[in-house]
Amino acid sequence: MTFTQMSRRRFLKSASGMVAVSVLGVPALANSRGTGQVGTDGSSIPGIASQRIDGFAKVAGKKVYARDFYARDMGAPWPKTQKYAMYLRALHTDQRFVGLTNLPPAARSARLVYGDMLDRSLLNPNIPIDRDLHMDERIRESLSSGPSDSSFDHPDAVLFDLIVQPGKVPDFLGQAVALLVFDDVASYREAKRAMQFKDADFQVYAAPDGPLPPLRKPFQPETTYVKFNAEGENFSYAAFDDDKRYMAEVEKVRHQIENRLSSMPDLIKHNFTCDMQAMDPMFMEPEAGLAFHHVTSTEKTLHLVLGTQSPDHDVDSILSMFNDSEDAPYKLDAVTLTSCYPGGGFGGRDKSPFSLMLGLASAFSYDEDAEGQKTYVPLRLEYDRFEQFRVGLKRHAATGTGQIALTPDMNLQNIEMTLDFDGGGRKNLSPYVANLAGLCAGGAYTCDMANIYAQAYHSGNISGGSQRGFGGPQAFFAIETALDDVARELDWDPIQLRLANVIREGDTTVVGGPMDQELRLTEMLEIAEAHPLWADRELIKLGFAEEGKVYGTGLAMSLQAYGTSGDGMVAAVHMAADGTLSVESDAVDMGNGSATTLGVVIGDILGANAQSVDMGCYTLFGQTGLQTNSNSTERWADPTWTAKGVGSSSACLTALHQVHVVQQTARALFELSILPAARDLWGLPDLTADDVMWNNGLLVLETTEADPIPLADLAYFIHENGLPTGTLGHAYFQGSWAEADYALPTGTIRLQLDSLATYGTGGSPRQLSRLNTTGPDAHSARYSRTVWAPCVNVVGVTVDTTNGHVQIENVLSVLNAGRVHVPELVSGQSQGGVAMAISYTLLEDMPPGMEGPADGTWNLNRYHVAHAMDVPLNTRFDPLGRAQELIVLPESEGDKKSGRGIAEAVMCSISPAISNALKDAVGVRYTSLPITPHKILKGLSK
Amino acid sequence: MITFSVNGKLKEVSEARADDKLLDYLHDDLNLTGSKLCCGIGVCRACTVEVFKPPSNAASAIISCKTSLGQINGTQITTIEGATPKDGLLPIQEAFLKNFSFQCGYCAPGFVMASKVFLDWLATQTSITEEALDEAIHDAIGDHICRCTGYVRYFEALKATAQAQLEAQQ
Repeated sequence: MTFTQMSRRRFLKSASGMVAVSVLGVPALANSRGTGQVGTDGSSIPGIASQRIDGFAKVAGKKVYARDFYARDMGAPWPKTQKYAMYLRALHTDQRFVGLTNLPPAARSARLVYGDMLDRSLLNPNIPIDRDLHMDERIRESLSSGPSDSSFDHPDAVLFDLIVQPGKVPDFLGQAVALLVFDDVASYREAKRAMQFKDADFQVYAAPDGPLPPLRKPFQPETTYVKFNAEGENFSYAAFDDDKRYMAEVEKVRHQIENRLSSMPDLIKHNFTCDMQAMDPMFMEPEAGLAFHHVTSTEKTLHLVLGTQSPDHDVDSILSMFNDSEDAPYKLDAVTLTSCYPGGGFGGRDKSPFSLMLGLASAFSYDEDAEGQKTYVPLRLEYDRFEQFRVGLKRHAATGTGQIALTPDMNLQNIEMTLDFDGGGRKNLSPYVANLAGLCAGGAYTCDMANIYAQAYHSGNISGGSQRGFGGPQAFFAIETALDDVARELDWDPIQLRLANVIREGDTTVVGGPMDQELRLTEMLEIAEAHPLWADRELIKLGFAEEGKVYGTGLAMSLQAYGTSGDGMVAAVHMAADGTLSVESDAVDMGNGSATTLGVVIGDILGANAQSVDMGCYTLFGQTGLQTNSNSTERWADPTWTAKGVGSSSACLTALHQVHVVQQTARALFELSILPAARDLWGLPDLTADDVMWNNGLLVLETTEADPIPLADLAYFIHENGLPTGTLGHAYFQGSWAEADYALPTGTIRLQLDSLATYGTGGSPRQLSRLNTTGPDAHSARYSRTVWAPCVNVVGVTVDTTNGHVQIENVLSVLNAGRVHVPELVSGQSQGGVAMAISYTLLEDMPPGMEGPADGTWNLNRYHVAHAMDVPLNTRFDPLGRAQELIVLPESEGDKKSGRGIAEAVMCSISPAISNALKDAVGVRYTSLPITPHKILKGLSK
Repeated sequence: MITFSVNGKLKEVSEARADDKLLDYLHDDLNLTGSKLCCGIGVCRACTVEVFKPPSNAASAIISCKTSLGQINGTQITTIEGATPKDGLLPIQEAFLKNFSFQCGYCAPGFVMASKVFLDWLATQTSITEEALDEAIHDAIGDHICRCTGYVRYFEALKATAQAQLEAQQ
């Protein structure tokens, strides 16, 4: 089987000129199947995944992760050997870094690079975009915050160096203070053995000679959601077109809320406070990668090997470092990225600083002859787990305070909440995490009034960033434990309280955006209510009591949004002459199963699953002919315009977003090629898609007895007769899909794509004209999010009151996943979410500052993550055993045949359900995560 | 010299490398990267390989990130590359694959190797109660860390494979 080799080269404009960017799968190695981000083990049953498409390679230990690759594996033009990089990390944020002294002999042969030896662009590059903003957001952010804020990865007053310059005070713990480049692995490992855990022996610091950099300054933008939908007024963030007018009225409306609450008799007000420590994503593969500057007489190319969730951003960032001006000293002509499967991600590889640090080190990986002539050599940067804990992106430590107000008949009137996220040293995605937390503060509920503020602030701690849940874990913990407290204090049924307030279609969120999606929250709560884990909770408690165990049951729900406020995605579908199919997608599969899913969702459309799925192909966007920079007043009327190209990959973007673009693109291939071929072969010129169906890889006429046509015969005909052998589509979603008419030889078809092109002989795509385009209303970007994955969790715990140990006995998750594409992946995501939530709720204990992993000595012997014994392993509820049962709602018409991104949905409400169960068990409210045995005992002692 | 075999091939390294970790040697010297580095301190067990130390006929699962070359003198090491059949997969690999037991897959080789050692041991047992089987499975893979899947599907697959093997043995 061979597919036409597509050119994935894309030209990017940099400050110093055009740069060609290419994305490659990893080199095929001898005797390997399924290497790199190319899964090649597709299922033979259309629409059904019999295994992960990338599964064979992974279970057989093939080279698929960035860490697996050495220069010797890469083939031409890579040389066979590489140098090794090691960064030394800051120990203080209140003292000047002076320099290094007394380096051990093993390190003295290394090239030593201090911050003051770097060119300005290498020292402090302008990170191009901080988040996947679509065009409207980008314009708004730059207008609201001024030019400096849109490109700098830090607060205005804190300029951080990639390597701290001697004489300056480090901005955050773990910031690099020096780079060492070793010639070979032996010297690297010897130096590492000599230096690890001994930083203070050779890093020299002195008292600062001026004021310390400011801390606690919020990263911009901050989030303020004030809503007042009463007394004939309808004030909300979404009700305004711009932030300035909205913010000008916020204070006045806050007073209105206060006044209205004061006027309501018998109002029940409940104050709450909670906090949680930072959390390490602890993806299994510590970050590693290769970089090589290949210099010829005509071109300088940077070759990269990375496992990243954000290949587009990482390449752009590196380009911003090397090509920041016309006379940049290290100016690149091309970048080639070998995009590997990440060994876990959970958000921690989304815009991770690792890529930039690898790119930086690569500039110093060269041999120099007597004349000073440099020959560049590949370089490997490989964090070990200590370094990964020390510098890898964290989920933010956070505090939440506020008040909920309800009427005596259980109606939620107001949610007031302040959420503060410790962003650490870099801005990264922190303010956007806080932003989504602000939306999640409203929980799964409707209320007329809200007063929510969320911020991420700069500190000297390890940087926070995108993490599974993206602000949801903190916000849902706050609202769900607060509601539970109210129910207990007033002896209300926790489910009835929630049923009285669940948000429904037609309601608005705390942002003011409309709830247009069917949620089925009532149905889900009723399922939980009837389940024996909840219905028989008192009997179960008695049973445990007879065994001398203290047991409790807790319930919580979450309504996790998926996607961002606007998402672009691109895909290509190819058909080989023998009928085998392949899919290319800009998405990255972090293990969540995107590749597998995208391979099978074309089965019903094209009669077979993809046998090959190639991920991380973000440069496909360059072939769509679309751009985001045209005169935005024309917007969708401009046939080359889209609101956003592609963005970072998160697990929850697969089920709806990525599946959609692949299916629409596959449908175009059906209409453009398969249907015309069938018309010809059957001699039925008026044949339509409605007349045919697929049956075991055969195209069948529904109404006559014409011989079915095998997909392979159709493919042969298509190739022989010059019909398109592939299609390329781009889609944009912002509450609704952009859609357009495309003129085909056989008529016009309307697709929910904003670009469509065909592949034929020659390999380059040919654009089809886009007509009558309609796109989402620009204003809907102010709704924050528009699609939702609801989950209700019930948790049963036992508590050993002698030592504070908590055991999770049973979990029930009721999940609305919409259309389920691959059931095993959905339940796997749920099981992984349950385990991760149990882990960070009870076990993962990471203090800030040098008491925590910033000191370089932390590993899994101190940072405990859930093992099998911590998790119920059976999948059917048994009152006498431990189990986690998942109930997925059957698909409804309201799902419109779409899946929901559920990767975070189950996880987000496990933590509050555990806290609520503990309250039920021992009568103590635990609102500080992690809830360690020490905290349990401390609570009991009160 | 330190002498041992890896996947059936004899290896000799100088005594000067006695402190080098087996995992580094597999990666750097032999380009066998199927055994994974995760914690590097012997907690997560992603780096598990199989070892025979004559005269014992029984295999053990060892943690290659914590094992030095000096400790494996005279042993026979099998990594995931050596354990995987040239064509196809071991039954336990097939079971993990078909049960969607892993997601990112980085921990999978460690689970495979520990399970292989367990199943080889199970083959020597004439009978075992279900309770003892569950306990033995926990002993075999209960300390392995998987961050993606929550363990459920690994345990399901290994138990099913063990039960099928026991049935076949009878």
